[in-house]
Amino acid sequence: MEAVIYVCLGFLFVSGFMAVMFRSILKSAIALAAASAVLGIIMYMLGGTWAALFELSVCSGLVTVIFISAISLSNIDKEELGKVFADKKRMSLLPYILIVCGIIFVVIALSTDVWLPAVNKAVKTAGDLREILWNNRQADIWGQIIVLLAGAVAVVVLFKERD
Amino acid sequence: MQIIDYITISFLVIPLIVIVLNNLFSKQLSERVCFYFAGAAAIVQMASSVADFFLLTASRLHEYEFSLLWDLNTEGSEHFAVDSLSLVILFCVGFVSFISVLVANQTVEKKKTAYVSLLMTLMLGMNGIVLVTDLFSLYVFVEIVGISSFVLVSLFQTEKGLEGAFKYLVMSSLASVFMLTGLAFIFMQTGSLQYSQPWMDILGAQGTSQIYTYAAFILLLSGFAIKTGAVPFHSWLPDAHQSANTAVSILLSGIVIKVAGIYGFIVIMDLFGDFPAVNMVIRIMGIVSIVVGALFAIRQTHFKRIVAYSSVSQMGYILLGVSTGTTLGLLGVIMHIFNHATFKCTLFSNAAALHHRTGTLDINELGGLEKKMPVTGFSSITAFLSTTGIPPFAGFWSKLLIVLALWNSNSQWFAAIALFSSIFTAAYFLRLQKKVFFGKLPDKFSEVTEIGGSIKFAEIILTGVTILVGVGFPLVLLYLEGRGLL
Amino acid sequence: MNGFGFEDMMLITGFFLIISGAYCIMRTYHMLKIIIGMEIAMKAVTMFIILAGYLNGNIELAQSFVITVIVVEVVVAVVSAGIVVSIYKKYGSMDIRNLRKLKG
Repeated sequence: MEAVIYVCLGFLFVSGFMAVMFRSILKSAIALAAASAVLGIIMYMLGGTWAALFELSVCSGLVTVIFISAISLSNIDKEELGKVFADKKRMSLLPYILIVCGIIFVVIALSTDVWLPAVNKAVKTAGDLREILWNNRQADIWGQIIVLLAGAVAVVVLFKERD
Repeated sequence: MQIIDYITISFLVIPLIVIVLNNLFSKQLSERVCFYFAGAAAIVQMASSVADFFLLTASRLHEYEFSLLWDLNTEGSEHFAVDSLSLVILFCVGFVSFISVLVANQTVEKKKTAYVSLLMTLMLGMNGIVLVTDLFSLYVFVEIVGISSFVLVSLFQTEKGLEGAFKYLVMSSLASVFMLTGLAFIFMQTGSLQYSQPWMDILGAQGTSQIYTYAAFILLLSGFAIKTGAVPFHSWLPDAHQSANTAVSILLSGIVIKVAGIYGFIVIMDLFGDFPAVNMVIRIMGIVSIVVGALFAIRQTHFKRIVAYSSVSQMGYILLGVSTGTTLGLLGVIMHIFNHATFKCTLFSNAAALHHRTGTLDINELGGLEKKMPVTGFSSITAFLSTTGIPPFAGFWSKLLIVLALWNSNSQWFAAIALFSSIFTAAYFLRLQKKVFFGKLPDKFSEVTEIGGSIKFAEIILTGVTILVGVGFPLVLLYLEGRGLL
Repeated sequence: MNGFGFEDMMLITGFFLIISGAYCIMRTYHMLKIIIGMEIAMKAVTMFIILAGYLNGNIELAQSFVITVIVVEVVVAVVSAGIVVSIYKKYGSMDIRNLRKLKG
C-alpha cells in the first residue's frame, strides 16, 4: 500500500506543478482537476472515505466547471495569451526554487531529528462520521448554511448581465 | 426555556429572519422597506445585548451555554456560549450596523436589497465569531465575514471598488491558508480543537515536536494579523477602504477588522498566553503598527485613505493592550474597541457628508467648510480629540488603561513609545482638519449647505456618545470595582 | 533517516504545493491563474488536515473538518470568479497590470 501512496503523491506534485507552469489557462484548469482527483484517492487510502467522496465530486467537478465557464466568458486566443502574459518567462524560476527547498529539507533531515511524531492515537471520538458531523459539530453546520446563503446573494449580484 | 435562552438565540435568528423577509416580497416593495428592517435588526441586537448583560451578571454565571435546534446535553457536543466579553462586542456590532444603515440611507442608491442581505450575513458571521467555543468554527465564521465583506466592497461595480476587492481577496485567502495550516499542526498534537481543553499539558510536554507548536503559533498569528491589517500585512487596508462605498467603509473599519482580527488575538492569548514568545510577537507587531500607520498617514491626500491608515495605527494600540494578558489590559482593549468604532464612524460619516455635498474627497481641493457645514465640523473635531486621547473625551480613558497595563507588566519602553506616538496622531489629524474645515473657502463650494437627513442624525448621535462616555466612564470603573471584577 | 514513512513525504509534498501556489499568486499576470494558485494551496492544506487526523487516530473528526473546508473553498472560488468576470467586463482583458488606479 505504501508504494501506491508514494506514486499518488508523485502524481499530485506533478499535477500541481504543471498547473502553475502551463502557458494555456485551460490546461492549467484541467491540471487542477487532475490534482483534485489524485488527492481524493490519497484521502481514501488513508481511511477518510467520505472526505474523498466530497473532494472528488465537488473540487474535481464543480470548481473545474466554474473555472471553465469563467474562461469561456473571456475568449482569448492561445498565442496572444503567450505573448501578452509572458507567463512562461516569469514562471521559469519555480523549478529552481523547488530544488533549492528540497536540498534544504534533505539537509535538515540528515542533521536533526525533526520528523513527525509517531501515530499517536490520542483522544478518539467515538462514532461514525455522520454522527460526529451532525451531532457534535452543529456550529459548523450553521456556518455552512450561512456561507452558502452569502454565496447565493453574491452570485446574484456579481453575475448579472445588465440591470 | 427561560428568557435568557430566547434573548441569546435571537442573535443568530433575527438576521436570518430579516434575510428571508427581504427576499420574499416583490422588488419594488423590498427596495422601499429594506432599510427599515435592517435598522430594526440592529436596534434589536443592541437591546438584546444590553438585556443579556444585566441578566448574566444578575444570575452570577460566568458564561452561559446554549444550543440552537440541537439538544444541549449530547455527548461531547460543541455548543455556543456567551459571556460578558462577547456581549460587549455584540453591542458594538449592533451599534456600527445601525450607523451604517443610517449612512447608507443616503449614499446607496441602487441594489439596496442586496446590500441589506449582505449586511445581515455579515452580522450573522460576526455574531457567530464571538459565540463559538471551538477553534475550527472560529475559522469558518471568519471566512463568512471575509466573503461577505469582499462582496460588499465590490457591490457597486465601480472600477476602483473591484480592484480593492480583488486585492483584499488575495490577501484574505493567504490568511486562510496560514490559519488552516496552523490549525492542522495544532490538531496533530492534541485530539480536538475545543476551547475547553487542557492545552498547556498537551502542548508543553513534548521535546522535538515543539517546533510544530511554534510553527503553528506563528502561522495562526500571521493569519489573524492579515485579517486585522497589522503591519507588515496592512497593504490591502487603505485600498479597500478608499474604493468602497462609505457605508461599507464604516462596516469594514468599525467592526470587521476588529472582530475578525483582534478577537482572534484575544482567543490566542487566552488559550496560549503562557508561551512567552506569543506575548513578545504581538507586542512588537503592535508597536510597529502604531508608528508605521501614523507615518504613512501624514503624507496622504485622500480623506478616506488618511482615515484608513489611522485605523492601522489604532489597531496597534489594541494589539499592545491584548499582549499584556491582564484584566486591566483587557478592559482597556474592550473600551478601545468601542471608542474606536465610535470615532471611526464619525470620521467616515463626515466623509460621506463631504462627498455628498461637494463631490470630492481630495483634501487639497477642499477648504474652509467650517462655516458652511457646522455640524460636520464639530463632530469631526470631537472625533479628532477623542482619537488623540485628550480628556474629557472617551479616547483618553481607553488609552490611559492600555498604557497603565503596559507599565504594570514591565514594558516601560513600549508604554513610552505608545504615548509618544500620540504626537503623530495629532499631526495627521490636525493637518486634515486644517485643510478641510479651516482656511479659505474655494469659490466653487460657496453654495454647499449642511448635510441633512440621516447622516446628520448619525453624526449627532455619535458625538453625543463620545462626550457621554468620556464624561461618564469613571462611573463605569467604580461599578466594576464594586462588583469585584477589577 | 530512521522511520521515514509516507507521512513525512506527504508533509514535504504539501510544503512544495504551498510554495508553488504562493509563487503562482505572486508572479502571474493572468487573474484566473491567481485563483488557481490559491486553490492549489488549499489542496495542500486539506492534505495536512487529513494527515493530522490519520496520525491522531481521529480520522472522522478530520473528515468533518475537510468537508466544511471544501464547502467554504468552493464559495470563495465562486465569489472570486465573479469578481474576475466583472473586472473583465470593465476592462476587456484579464491582465492584472490594468488594475493600477489605487496608489500610495
